[in-house]
Amino acid sequence: MDKDSCIVTFLHPNPTTLEVNKGRDLLSVAVEAGVYINSSCGGDGVCGRCKVIVKRGQFKTEPSGRITLDERRKGYVLACQTTVHSDVEVEVPPESGVELDKISDEDAKLLRLKGMYSQAVDLGKAALTVEEGIFKPSPLATKLYLELKPPTLSDTISDLERLYRAIRKNRDIPIMQAGLTNIKRLGRLLRESDWKVTALLGKRNETVEIVSIEPGDTSVRNYGIALDIGTTTVTGQLVDLNTKEILGTKGTYNKQVTFGSDVITRIVYASESEGLEKLHHAVIDNINGIIKELVNDNKINLNDVNAVECAGNTTMIHLLLRVDPKFIRREPYVSTANFVPVIRAAEAGIKINPRGLLACVPGTSTYVGGDITAGVLACGLNRTDKLTLLIDVGTNGEIVLGNKEWMVSCAASAGPAFEGSGVKCGMRAAEGAIQRVAIDKNTYDVEVITIGKAKPKGICGSGYIDCLAELLTSGIIDRNGKFSEKISSPRLRSSGESREFVLVFKKDAAVDFDIVITEEDLDNLKRSKGAIYSASSILLRKMNLEFKDVEQFYIAGGFGTYLDIDKAIAIGLLPDLERERFSFIGNSSLVGSREILLSYQAKDESENIARKMTYIELSVESSYMDEYVSSLFFPHTDLNRFPTVKIKGK
Amino acid sequence: MAVELIRDKWVNKVNTLKLGSGMEEGGSRSSTLTVGGVSTLPYLFSDGQMPHRPVIAMEILDTKPPDWPKALSEPFNGVLDNPVEWAKKCVNEYKAEVLCLKLQSTHPDFGDASPDKAASTVKAILGAVGVPLIILGSGNDEKDNLVLPKCSEAAKGENCLFGDATQENYKTLTASCLADGHSIIAESPIDINIAKQVNILISDMGFPLEKIAINPTIGALGYGMEYAYSIMERARLAALAGDKMLSMPFICFVGFEAWRAKEAKTPQAEHPEWGPEVERGLMWEVITATSMLLCGADILVMRHPKAISIVNQTIDKLMKK
Repeated sequence: MDKDSCIVTFLHPNPTTLEVNKGRDLLSVAVEAGVYINSSCGGDGVCGRCKVIVKRGQFKTEPSGRITLDERRKGYVLACQTTVHSDVEVEVPPESGVELDKISDEDAKLLRLKGMYSQAVDLGKAALTVEEGIFKPSPLATKLYLELKPPTLSDTISDLERLYRAIRKNRDIPIMQAGLTNIKRLGRLLRESDWKVTALLGKRNETVEIVSIEPGDTSVRNYGIALDIGTTTVTGQLVDLNTKEILGTKGTYNKQVTFGSDVITRIVYASESEGLEKLHHAVIDNINGIIKELVNDNKINLNDVNAVECAGNTTMIHLLLRVDPKFIRREPYVSTANFVPVIRAAEAGIKINPRGLLACVPGTSTYVGGDITAGVLACGLNRTDKLTLLIDVGTNGEIVLGNKEWMVSCAASAGPAFEGSGVKCGMRAAEGAIQRVAIDKNTYDVEVITIGKAKPKGICGSGYIDCLAELLTSGIIDRNGKFSEKISSPRLRSSGESREFVLVFKKDAAVDFDIVITEEDLDNLKRSKGAIYSASSILLRKMNLEFKDVEQFYIAGGFGTYLDIDKAIAIGLLPDLERERFSFIGNSSLVGSREILLSYQAKDESENIARKMTYIELSVESSYMDEYVSSLFFPHTDLNRFPTVKIKGK
Repeated sequence: MAVELIRDKWVNKVNTLKLGSGMEEGGSRSSTLTVGGVSTLPYLFSDGQMPHRPVIAMEILDTKPPDWPKALSEPFNGVLDNPVEWAKKCVNEYKAEVLCLKLQSTHPDFGDASPDKAASTVKAILGAVGVPLIILGSGNDEKDNLVLPKCSEAAKGENCLFGDATQENYKTLTASCLADGHSIIAESPIDINIAKQVNILISDMGFPLEKIAINPTIGALGYGMEYAYSIMERARLAALAGDKMLSMPFICFVGFEAWRAKEAKTPQAEHPEWGPEVERGLMWEVITATSMLLCGADILVMRHPKAISIVNQTIDKLMKK
């Protein structure tokens, strides 16, 4: 053994050893050895979650306030602040690791985030939209059937020129390009197919590329995929590029969640060894899974899927393209690319027609990505005179304020609760998700309506909004989100340290447990709604405006197929104004992505939006924290802001 | 040219809060007190009224204080392990107008005294002295929820001020105070929003806003006093501007905070250059109390008799128009 190296042995759960250079920190050694140790700060020594005990050997450790005196006596140190200087034996105490000895590491992480992973499922069409069909149809990939005139002695231009000539007869395309692969095959292909071919044309930035040439007339078979890659969920839609028809929509939880629930943790994870690869493969797996199911369901050939348009926040796009996102997290917070040129989908690992194209919706800044651009495009905020507020109720909770003259945006870290994650019985808006709840004010009986009228499996975002409002108005919870002690009902019961309310008993559910909402869920939901309301409020104040000045509100997000505006106001997620001002528009990011897939005009417009939008950083606003805390109440600490909301305490 | 001073006009005033009930109201107090009712920022008599003088409550414990330095315990030598005698000494010798009894001995870590024992202490003190009483739990939520209802019942009709109700634990105490006719202290952790939220939660249970006092939580001089100051100032400005949910008098636990400061309790032997500890602790309490008066404190809960006497003189001077 090299004298500069030493052997690190982790005793728990299974003894694992690794030879490393002296001076390495224990957290990175553990990652390399495949030993799971909690860490949420990514090794900055601040979260205090990576406590380990060095049983034997020489090490150096930085003192930390995260270690109590008692723990220090027992030999606890922070793995990320401890370097090894001889062979050492390290014990990972249960609180720092995953207490599941028998389960493999990856499975353990999945279990830790129970419910986070599921198969892609059918969703509503995410149809909408406010003014669909306003863009001239000109999809990212077009098929053109051509019957070429065979060459004669008096018409001797080359095969490629001949193809260009035929295309130009149909389309006004001055500049074209064709790859060497196509040219190599061209001569034979044209002759074997009796000069009748279909050319697949793709828009690649400012030029048009002949993506591929197929014999005969295949022009009816031309499909594209619109994608919305969210921090928590990934949604894909199969579209017939000729007819603009939506053939299916599927959604699934983003597999990257196993490596961290928010973008920052994932950026940190990306810098660990093979972290970027794992994150990249996770989302590519998601995408390929969704595409495969959509293609199978519709009995089409994967090779006829010719284009993918993708909307996502800046970090998600970096990870999709396997571009290191680490600079996003470091001052001055600059991303590698906000406007990503059109590339071949295969370069990113997406399995469609091997020569098919991948385009990403452009973003404004590091924190306002293409998903927001797509949302603005979908609701037409950039085309209206009316002052409009677009609220995307997602993990990052982006908010855009403006009209056709100006646009400002901000991000509110709302967390994934409304996407059905981080809450006990949460699920995405899919079949069997409870999305409407009614509670009898005297008997506390509950009636629920699920998506697809199926037997209940869990609760989706709009179900939680309904549920909160009903719990409040029936006095089961107080304005602080705590259960009343005065109510006796078999539905309200203790669970460990905390309490929970049963919406659906096991016997009536499609799952093997009671569907409940817990006090911890109530806290998470309160924080999510508080973050969204307070961010909107601060953004308006920053522009010297108030909620009442906003003429239309668009609420976007994949948290349900419907939203009861009254109830969203009752819990203080939305301001208390005339209900007519509000429209729920569903997954606007997906809709915008589809519009861009279908029209180059929309693509141009999305670029204008991305350039025009100004980003406002809320964390530097001194009043943000104050506004946030005052929003951590139902509906709000300042009850005068919610004059129409009546809540009776019990 | 003469300078014209700008006068603030306020639309609202702070609620008045009565401490104690006399015979005619069903209690047995020989004296009662009223605080609050101000319609101006503190001591700006040209802008509005301050109908009631801030009061100082003397803090007593139902068990020998484990951590009081000698300088603080000296004036109470001989009575520290007898809450009734302690109460009498405060009233008879130090002329306390209000007493604040902390039921320290009920805390599981400080004796775990039974709810009945606590209730009998309350009864004994009410029998021994005629001043109004403020009654505090030990700070252990679970135990307080057993102890305080008993004490509330034992003091029924006396209009005591019970504390503390917090965002996490307000229901039991609110229900007891409502049933037995007491007032309540709503505590928040130096946060104006939470202060308001606790008040709303308590009033949602049908509790009258006029019977709530705000404990904004303070810090002693050098320990975050200015945070408390600005929160109290903001809350008071909101109250005067019309916010009913913040229009309550403030109660500030000055003695508790001041005597925790190391500058107050470190013996001279350890830091000869700091001077005699008696004066240090006393001044720490006086300065903290005076600062709280200036941002609107209505009830000061204090410990050292000398400090109380100095602050009382300050109040006299401040109240001179």
